[in-house]
Amino acid sequence: MILLEINNRIVEETLTLKFKNALAGHKPESTDITIADFDGVLFHISNVGGDKTKVRISISLKFYKDLQEHGADELLKREYGSLLAPVEDGYNVSVQVDLENVPENWEEVVKKIGLLKRNCFASVFEKYFDFQERGEEGHKRAVINYRSDETLYVEAKADRVTVVFSTIFKDDDDIVIGKVFMQEFKEGRRASHTAPQVLFSHREPPFELQNTDARVGENIGYITFVLFPRHTNRAARDNTINLIHMFRDYLHYHIKCSKAYIHSRMRAKTSDFLKVLNRARPEPKNVEKKTIT
Amino acid sequence: MWFGLRNDNGTLSESKFGMADMSTIIMQDNPPTAAFQTMPSLLMSFVDFGNVFSFATLLTPVPYTKLGFAANKEPQFIIPSAIAIKESAKVGDQSTRRLTKGVEDLDFFIGDEAFDATGYAVKYPVRHGLVEDWDLMERFLEQCIFKYLRAEPEDHYFLLTEPPLNTPENREYTAEIMFESFNVPGLYIAVQAVLALAASWASRPVSERTLTGIVVDSGDGVTHVIPVAEGYVIGSCIKHIPIAGRNITYFIQSLLREREFQIPPEQSLETAKAIKERYCYICPDIAKEFAKYDSDASKWIKKYDGINAVTKEPFIVDFSNPDFTTPLSEIVDNVIQNCPIDVRRPLYNNIVLSGGSTMFRDFGRRLQRDIKRTVDARLKISEALSGNRIKPKPIGVQVISHHMQRYAVWFGGSMLASTPEFYEVCHTKAAYEEYGPSICRHNPVFGTMT
Amino acid sequence: MLKYSATLRPYLTAVRHTLTAAMCLTNFSSQVVERHNKPEVEVRTSKELLLTPVVISRNEKEKVLIEPSINSVRISISVKQSDEIEKILCHKFMRFMMMRAENYVVLRRKPVEGYDISFLITNFHTEQMFKHKLVDFIIYFMEEIDKEISEMKLVANARARICAEEFLKRFSKRKAATIYPSATAVLSVKKLIFVNNL
Repeated sequence: MILLEINNRIVEETLTLKFKNALAGHKPESTDITIADFDGVLFHISNVGGDKTKVRISISLKFYKDLQEHGADELLKREYGSLLAPVEDGYNVSVQVDLENVPENWEEVVKKIGLLKRNCFASVFEKYFDFQERGEEGHKRAVINYRSDETLYVEAKADRVTVVFSTIFKDDDDIVIGKVFMQEFKEGRRASHTAPQVLFSHREPPFELQNTDARVGENIGYITFVLFPRHTNRAARDNTINLIHMFRDYLHYHIKCSKAYIHSRMRAKTSDFLKVLNRARPEPKNVEKKTIT
Repeated sequence: MWFGLRNDNGTLSESKFGMADMSTIIMQDNPPTAAFQTMPSLLMSFVDFGNVFSFATLLTPVPYTKLGFAANKEPQFIIPSAIAIKESAKVGDQSTRRLTKGVEDLDFFIGDEAFDATGYAVKYPVRHGLVEDWDLMERFLEQCIFKYLRAEPEDHYFLLTEPPLNTPENREYTAEIMFESFNVPGLYIAVQAVLALAASWASRPVSERTLTGIVVDSGDGVTHVIPVAEGYVIGSCIKHIPIAGRNITYFIQSLLREREFQIPPEQSLETAKAIKERYCYICPDIAKEFAKYDSDASKWIKKYDGINAVTKEPFIVDFSNPDFTTPLSEIVDNVIQNCPIDVRRPLYNNIVLSGGSTMFRDFGRRLQRDIKRTVDARLKISEALSGNRIKPKPIGVQVISHHMQRYAVWFGGSMLASTPEFYEVCHTKAAYEEYGPSICRHNPVFGTMT
Repeated sequence: MLKYSATLRPYLTAVRHTLTAAMCLTNFSSQVVERHNKPEVEVRTSKELLLTPVVISRNEKEKVLIEPSINSVRISISVKQSDEIEKILCHKFMRFMMMRAENYVVLRRKPVEGYDISFLITNFHTEQMFKHKLVDFIIYFMEEIDKEISEMKLVANARARICAEEFLKRFSKRKAATIYPSATAVLSVKKLIFVNNL
């Protein structure tokens, strides 16, 4: 698995099971599942008011406030329409399915609900892609605190949209490995000329974020994606959003996988060293020597 | 239709040795911060001979991994602890052969997907509850966390489980992977039996919450009897019986084969499993049970026309294994008698069931009755030996059945991992960096105070 | 590159000869505590039992400290670390090995200060094992560790490059659906349904 999936597997599997059970005419069972997703996202799957045929899926994002400023509500209305339900306490968005009237296209519904987190994220990108498309400049930069210490900045110019991620490396070794990765991202355009341009800076925010409250520190990295119209046009933007909203998790996933790989190498080498050391031990002498009779 | 499950003349006995076969990982979220009060905990459970059955590996015992978030009642995923990798034909020993120059090590599948992947070799990093191949285990974990649970490990505390008698080195290796590769903020390695004990608290008043008791754990492959005193397993007294759910399924399958010809062979195992799960029960006395059905069959027997239209007549499970002919109750009694004298009474008083194969109706009742009989008989003898001068205080025998039996270990972990105390007993990344992996050799007992 | 290996050979030869000489160990009971028998190079109870330590260095980063004594010899190695990534790889590797010191018998659980890894060979080791093979092991270790670390560094870079390119390449792909297969989710559900149908 090189790329992370964007859909939530647990949500999809739970709903698929519910729908299939309902279609087979079984009695629905009560549900109460609380799960997490990347970036501190929480899902809650439950029954509304004890009615086992109504399954409500709620999502909570710590930064939903930030997204609302950029039209998250409208986007979700467009995507989910009648599925939207009154918001559950402590959560930001709720959708609901009715197991008594299973829709014809329930498989699509399941897929859609599995993408709830992605669609929440999408609003801010779509908004700035639109600005760029219309050539509007001078809009305020969007600031999304997508994790407690990490922030996402989106800004539109007439010919480009810049997306800046700030990310924290929790482990000192990660800073070094992270730098290797970011260096390669920067040079990644060599492989594909149509890819967005990537810049990175370690410790300090990039030029455009200077004089803001962007954090400075040894364990902080800033990665800037410069998206051109070929990434932000209507045909390409869904794909672009799918990729870019997972970037932070993608980076950290691969740093961790690299460390796992280094572990494997070390295991192989240590057992190799051990073999050489054991050569120093004399072979146990075979005391019992039998003569051929 | 009905089954009698005869275990008075010989289903269960002791095996000579054998490692416990389960371990559970539970992942737990950051401690609730002021900003985010309701962050639920995340729970992931590992490597368990569950009583789910996979088609691809009918004959080998498949360890299962249970994954999920804490505070839920059931694990979110129960997947075979299998990993499918591409094997190269290079020379050299296994570990060096697997090393590649690119990202080929990310090309693998775990769980059910492992069996569906063509062109890959299926491996089991865990055998008998112990990790054998740490390289594969680490990769298995990668996908557990990033693909299945979709959790950033830096944000979550983890609870993993281990079988009893796990080695301290294994704990260190686990800690090394979790802290160094995955940067988890906190880690706790719990003993499965202790979690099973904790799971039984749900159905009892707070004052009776104890971590002393005997766990009878019967899953798919093996049945264990594990005594626990004050949260510590009495390792020398553990007994294993290689008869469990799978044997019952096979038995029913063979009965089906003799009697029901309409069942397509590829479905016979699933059918047997469904029959086992729905209709099997434990009867107090197999002979009487037989007589009951013989005298008035129509009263007890339902004819069943299901979707598969298999008509089922009554039949009886009556299986015995010539090698293992000691009943379960006697084994439990033996185990307790082997334990230090001062914990025997509390052990008799808290016999906790765990695992899917203890879910049969009246399993607990039968076990309790049989043990009670043995204990009373022993007390009577001692009374007689003393010349009726000393009357021993009667010993209470209590077998605890509860709703969470099927995933008892997981549920216990889920419960404990969602208490605030859990965060205090976890080994933290800071402590790991300060003192090294050896801190994870010991994991303090907790939970009794809540 | 030529110069590189040109200095490596004499360096390793010097280490080999010094080690072979230092390996002359004898059983020696403690002069301080009755019935104790401790490696003198560690306990340092008396000066006359210690020999002059030798440092063999190839350059300022790569050096070996050999401390002989009457019944034990301590070898400490400082491994080449030319940049940040080599430094953490070396650090990780040494820690990894020292955690498994039990299997290595001659490995010290902590390095001597200023060095990355230390070995302690006592007279008991030399009695049970071939001395020349022990020397071979140390030399093999020194040769391999440099090679391994630079190889690990190369692979880490290669991985990073593949990951970056893979990610960036997808931006040019029009079909988003091909990237994220989610049909597998349905798979495991299938089995459950069957049982319910019975």
